Amino acid sequence: MTDERLAARLKDALRSGDASAAETAARKALEAQADPLDLIRNVLVPTLTEVGKQFQEFEIFLPELMAAGDAAKAATVILEQAIAAAGKASSSLGTVVLGTVQNDVHDIGKNIVSTLLSSHGFRVVDIGRDVAPSAFLEAARREKAEIVAMSALMTTTRPAAQSTIRLFEEVEARDDFKIIVGGGSIDAAWAKAIGADGYAPDAASAVDLCRRLVGR
Amino acid sequence: MRSNWLPEIVQRSETGPFVQEPEFDRLLTQTVRALVREHGLKFDPQDLVPSDDGLADRLYRAGVELLAQMGAYNQSTERRILLSRAEIEEAVAAAPSAVVLGEGKDAVVERHRGVESEIPCVMHSGPTGTPCSEMLHPFILQSCAQEPLVDCLGHGSVPSYLGEAIVAGSPQEILAARHQASLAREAVRRAGRPGMHIEDNAVSLTCAGKMASLDPEAGLRPSDGLLVAQIPELKTNYDQLSRVAHLRSLGMHIVNLITPLVGGLGGGAEGTAVVTVASHLLGALAYSASYHFMGHMHLLRSINTDRMGLWIQAVSAQALARNTPLVVVNDIYAASGLGTTDLLWEVAAGAIVGAVCGTHQHGTGATAGRETDHTSGLEARFQAQVAHAALGRSRREANGLVLECLRHYEEHLATPNLGRPFSEVYDVETLEPRPWWLEAFHEVGGALDGHELDVHHAWRRVRHDR
Repeated sequence: MTDERLAARLKDALRSGDASAAETAARKALEAQADPLDLIRNVLVPTLTEVGKQFQEFEIFLPELMAAGDAAKAATVILEQAIAAAGKASSSLGTVVLGTVQNDVHDIGKNIVSTLLSSHGFRVVDIGRDVAPSAFLEAARREKAEIVAMSALMTTTRPAAQSTIRLFEEVEARDDFKIIVGGGSIDAAWAKAIGADGYAPDAASAVDLCRRLVGR
Repeated sequence: MRSNWLPEIVQRSETGPFVQEPEFDRLLTQTVRALVREHGLKFDPQDLVPSDDGLADRLYRAGVELLAQMGAYNQSTERRILLSRAEIEEAVAAAPSAVVLGEGKDAVVERHRGVESEIPCVMHSGPTGTPCSEMLHPFILQSCAQEPLVDCLGHGSVPSYLGEAIVAGSPQEILAARHQASLAREAVRRAGRPGMHIEDNAVSLTCAGKMASLDPEAGLRPSDGLLVAQIPELKTNYDQLSRVAHLRSLGMHIVNLITPLVGGLGGGAEGTAVVTVASHLLGALAYSASYHFMGHMHLLRSINTDRMGLWIQAVSAQALARNTPLVVVNDIYAASGLGTTDLLWEVAAGAIVGAVCGTHQHGTGATAGRETDHTSGLEARFQAQVAHAALGRSRREANGLVLECLRHYEEHLATPNLGRPFSEVYDVETLEPRPWWLEAFHEVGGALDGHELDVHHAWRRVRHDR
């Protein structure tokens, strides 16, 4: 069991987006014999879920969300090291390769998804913006990803999501990965039409979708 | 003094400090937060059109500071383009305060407007780069161009060419760009206004696609414009800057498109206003823009007719109107769809803010720009009429009117009425609005008349004075 006082300290550090305080709180909790997996599951994830909800309600804004995500990342590094040192399996829910599609340079939405997925226990490999179909494929294979997530803001760039899925099919890699799409120009009907495994209208639902797809 | 900043911008893009983009973003959020605090900027949800000159001037100083401290970020080189305060102030002072848009009898002069100005607003119609189908886009364009109170024509984002999805960067993009540019030219011809300013070709995505739309006979001309975008926040790249290079050499209008995200890297309303001001200044310097589209929008809803969006328009417009010669155009993004009274209330709120605080008018991105074919000439007519009726009103009066408008639609913003697309609100053969869309127009216009805003008649006085 995690000491309530130490858990509260970690929560406060996450909520206020203080990465250094989050690191210290994680170390202190480990020194007090807290279970790192328990800290991730019962402190980090619920706190970041709450922060994510506040962001969806516009009670806080992107800078606060980013800071909370950075703080969670700093704490997770410490806790993952402890898990590895104890010879236990990683707490990661799975690997998501994430990027905006070819020719699309708008990545704020993608960055929000990255922050929320990371803070909910996914290993996120962010391959950036304007990503060619072959680069999605290469990264998915290299990182042994469970999920490939593509974002497209503009109507004129969304065909690139279709081209990417088509490439995965052509090289017979389609069944190796779950492919999901989102972003301003995409809706559920388009996602279905191009054969995606899922569609998320916003960052919070992207987390739920990924959890469903990895069965967690 | 410089008349062409572009070589210097490229030089600084190559030699400025290297920084990875997430670090630039973090530094920007911290800088904005500090400037908001230092300059005492405060959003008041009840005072959406503040009458506080001091607030406008402090906001302007914060915007200059932000650009001077951060510079811009070139995504192509991953380097900061650093600019001094003196350079920013000099470039802004030398920016045009009036531009001639269009040519011949259809040309209009778009001038810098002050706060509570009596100078009439120039009306830019939609589509605002919003999705349009290949089949209906020509009719939508003509419905806008034929409106007598519309001065400049927008352009829609058409995702297909001959029924196939356009692959950006391919020859198909070039073909589509040329085709859709010719349709815009044809729309203004059919409307009997062949020299009307066409502000963009929103089909093309790349620099090559944009340039392909240039064709003095069948496409866009130097009297027209093309948008050069900033990427939120304070970012550019060589694709955008290359557009500037070519358009400048032709003497064509460059339109600075800025879309700061409310709730994004700038934080809340105050910080986004600081970013909005800084983005205008950057567009004057790096893009040599003829005029500027103030297109800030809610990060999650992609609209700017909520309280924060309206306040940002009001204070940023005042800051720029009072401290620069820039020609600024608002860029209304509404949640509701065509055919609804809610849309017209949203348009009215945005139009009143712009008319009183110093912008020209651009509308409307209905359904937050998500649904296809949600632009028509009628909401542009309505926006122009409201803007003309609001001319010369005080900011205090405008605030009361805007709060009244909000009362009609604010509670629907989260679940807006998406209305009906163009083909259902217009007769596509006669290109006239259908009765129910006209009824909505008269209903909201009549309600505003009741609040002493003479929507149906004031435009006559404005046109006469011209």
